[in-house]
Amino acid sequence: MKRIGLIVNGARHEFVTGPERVLLDLLRDDLGLTGAKQSCDRKGQCGACMVIVNGKTALSCLTKVHSLDNARVITVEGLGTPENPHLIQQAFVLAGAIQCGYCTPGMIMATKGLLDVNPDPSVDEIKKALTRNLCRCTGYKKIIEAVQLAGRFIRGEATPEAVRPGPGDGVMGVSHPRPSALAKACGTAQFTADIRLKGALELAVLRSTVPHARIVSIDASAAEKMPGVAGVVTAADIKGTNILKYLVADRPVLCKDKVRYIGDPILIVAADTQAQATAALAAVHVNLDLLPVMKCPEDSLRDDAIKIHDDFPNLCFEQPQIKGNAEEALKASAAVIEARFKTQINHQAPLEPEATVAYWEDQEEGEEPRLVIVGRSINIHLHLGMLQAALGWENMSYREAYSGGQFGIKIDVISEGIAGAAALHFKRPVRYIPSLTESMLMSSKRHAFEMNVKLGADAQGKLTAYCNDYLVDKGAYYSIGHVVVHRSLLMLSGSYNIPNINARARLVYTNNPWGSAARGAGPPQVNFALECAMDMLADKLGMDPFEFRLRNSLQPGQSKSTGRIVQQWCFPELMEAMRPHYERAVQEAKIHRQDRGQDRIRRGVGLGTGAFGIGGPGDISVAAVELDTDGGISVYAAAADPGEGNDSMLSQLTAAFMNIPLEKVRLYTRDTDHTAASGPAAGSRITYMIGGALINALEQLKTAMLETGSITSEELETAGKPKRYLGRKKNEDAGPLDLQTGQGPSFESQVHAVQMVELEVDTESGQVKILKMTTTVDAGPVINPQNLTGQLEGGMDMGVGFALREEYIAGKTKDWVTFKFPTIRSSFEMQTIVRETPRPKGPLGATGVGEMCMVPTAPAVINAIKNATGVWICDLPATPDKIKAALNPEK
Amino acid sequence: MDAHTDGHQADPGPCVRVMDGRKILFDGEGFLNDFDDWSEAVFDILTRERGLIRITDQHWRVVRFLREFYAYHGRAPLNRQLKEGTGLSVMELEKLFPDGLKQGARRLSGLPNPKTCD
Repeated sequence: MKRIGLIVNGARHEFVTGPERVLLDLLRDDLGLTGAKQSCDRKGQCGACMVIVNGKTALSCLTKVHSLDNARVITVEGLGTPENPHLIQQAFVLAGAIQCGYCTPGMIMATKGLLDVNPDPSVDEIKKALTRNLCRCTGYKKIIEAVQLAGRFIRGEATPEAVRPGPGDGVMGVSHPRPSALAKACGTAQFTADIRLKGALELAVLRSTVPHARIVSIDASAAEKMPGVAGVVTAADIKGTNILKYLVADRPVLCKDKVRYIGDPILIVAADTQAQATAALAAVHVNLDLLPVMKCPEDSLRDDAIKIHDDFPNLCFEQPQIKGNAEEALKASAAVIEARFKTQINHQAPLEPEATVAYWEDQEEGEEPRLVIVGRSINIHLHLGMLQAALGWENMSYREAYSGGQFGIKIDVISEGIAGAAALHFKRPVRYIPSLTESMLMSSKRHAFEMNVKLGADAQGKLTAYCNDYLVDKGAYYSIGHVVVHRSLLMLSGSYNIPNINARARLVYTNNPWGSAARGAGPPQVNFALECAMDMLADKLGMDPFEFRLRNSLQPGQSKSTGRIVQQWCFPELMEAMRPHYERAVQEAKIHRQDRGQDRIRRGVGLGTGAFGIGGPGDISVAAVELDTDGGISVYAAAADPGEGNDSMLSQLTAAFMNIPLEKVRLYTRDTDHTAASGPAAGSRITYMIGGALINALEQLKTAMLETGSITSEELETAGKPKRYLGRKKNEDAGPLDLQTGQGPSFESQVHAVQMVELEVDTESGQVKILKMTTTVDAGPVINPQNLTGQLEGGMDMGVGFALREEYIAGKTKDWVTFKFPTIRSSFEMQTIVRETPRPKGPLGATGVGEMCMVPTAPAVINAIKNATGVWICDLPATPDKIKAALNPEK
Repeated sequence: MDAHTDGHQADPGPCVRVMDGRKILFDGEGFLNDFDDWSEAVFDILTRERGLIRITDQHWRVVRFLREFYAYHGRAPLNRQLKEGTGLSVMELEKLFPDGLKQGARRLSGLPNPKTCD
């Protein structure tokens, strides 16, 4: 041990510490400075922990405290506070560079390190300085713009006051800073792992290292005797059903007799410290009887395959879709293509690990104590019910902390069952702060699809028929299961009029990680197949892929693959908005080819389109509003914001509709005690459905206020009217799809987008460099432009990762390097062109855009690779090895 | 039976039933999709299906409280709030609704399940 003196944010501290202790732990655990975050398991891969040490940026997770005697450390808290923020913190807020906010403190400190020595950096210098800092939300574009804006502030060329929108700028269509942005910029927003609980036990979980086995025995007697250990929890200790039932009762909190994938939880150890709990795991002996492993749907569908779940068949859901007569139409078609497409299992990759804490609240005498779960849920009311049943404890509440990204991963319960089970067993507060590797193991993934496709057209280039027979790898547990199938079928025909459809979707249990929601959840996979098939067919017909798409646009009065006729279809106008950009890009690629001939670097241009459903069949949402004593309005809706901008949406819609200042809108969105059960804050439904319910509630309130001439709650109640109103929004087109034909109800509205990729392929290395992506999008009237473009930019970056790099391989993908997380160095130029066609039933005409942003991306990338090189990569991700192999098939 | 051919889908999914002269959508657990689809006639059918023949004032007290609570808060009450609102103990409530508070009282009163996703 050694005594170390440190000056942290101007205050001197002394510590006696061992040689292994790192600065990040000292800041967070000893000083309570939780602005610096932990994401990459202290491997120096993410930059979320970045601070300034002696004037230079340092990764606090790698910096040993022993080496820091008399060092001066500045953390994000030392830079500024919400009351007195630093110019860099203000620049990040005003540039819209903060979404989930988990990377933000590190980004801001990296920016300070740069601007302290170079107040006017170039884009390349910014990329170099921030190369150690990862962000999943933004695609880095607005982060670069934030650094540039901070430079202008510091150089005195601009002021925050001049940039910040004021009351005179209006509300709708204005980039007012997100309500949560400043707290995230200053490190005061509490994420789950930032919450300290006095006397809390720390948890570690024993997880299966094999994909399929029977549990013969568990011996934890040695572990229970280890230092600091309070005890262990197994399935036998759980008093409820032990099943986390989302749609199907198949996923245990802790496995009792069988493990079904690498990562399945078996046992919890609780100890005074996380190190003690983790050490005790090594002393647990589990005897497993290995079972045959179903590595893919084909394995599970073999006649001799054993059942993964005793109560359910391996083929756990099947839905055909039949419209017209596709086989006959293909026979009569002038051109038909056939192809097989595959997409990979992928991790959604939020930066924040899957942390949960749980504690007990005192109740009145005679009442059972209340268990409070704090985690990352985006569906708090549903998850509360799931946890109550699984754990056998009714008096519970759920509170969402700030959440470091989710991208669909938090549609289902992940780590909350573990924390809740341990808190109940030991009747103590607990913290379950798993590593990144363990978070990857335990969480859901994007489903892999295998699709056999036929697409036909007549001699005039009009689509005639589409067939898609596809298998969906469900993984070990059902989660949202058939919802992914339904969404993929409801959007199967994409942007186009396809008169004849023959599709079959089969959802199959395997011993892979369990699939669930992942940005888009189904449509990105099937749209990849359709949009590549469109280019293949255009090639065969000798048509330009742009004109071919435009010619086949669905028109109002025509029907989607579900047979539902659309009244509005904003796609042709988006194609026309893309036309000049497409013609410019094609011309530039042509010149590149003329200049460089068959050079190893080939340039290509690719298109992808998408029509993404908003407001699903029968979807209903509710939201409550209350008039306050000062004429302000409180909004109660379970629509917490893991980064998409829900807080902006709710507050700007309210302020615009009621004509009140934004400061007088108060949001209550994060806990089950106060919010209306608005449904999942997911699936691109938040603006359209929850925002729609909000507007309905506000309409009722406004009517009451106008009728009585009231402007405060006191006046309204004195006039005999309630001050609170529950609003709702419903898609009246409700009911199941026909089981034989897949025809039936559909989404109430659509968001449309066209994306174009310009890229270069190195034909020797197989490396792909994205030069630029251009998106034209129509999501209705824009509420907050920065939030809209922020979603699109982050989605494009995520879509490129899905197309080129990312894949989750259980047991091998363990951190951000093995995941191939996108960095600022791989970021690329992005342009967004917005059209704003009002949707008849949208809140103030708006829809949502959170998932559409990556639906066209992967096919646009693959089509551009084909345009550049002449080869098709139909099996994602299109890695350099696959591209090289396709270019050199003889090797 | 083969692992992949024993027929049923793992989740029964939503279904449409005709009640009280209307088509009404229920979720896979038999809860109304839409709170506003409930009526006393629907309640009557659902309770008979569960063998609840004799509906007392206490039943109506619970039903009225649940529906008023939902209409105000937009969510179901916790058991503690249900006890406070009805003056009945959990044991008395469970005796009134043999399928339990969620599958019985809440479902029969037309409170929707928290939504999953579409």
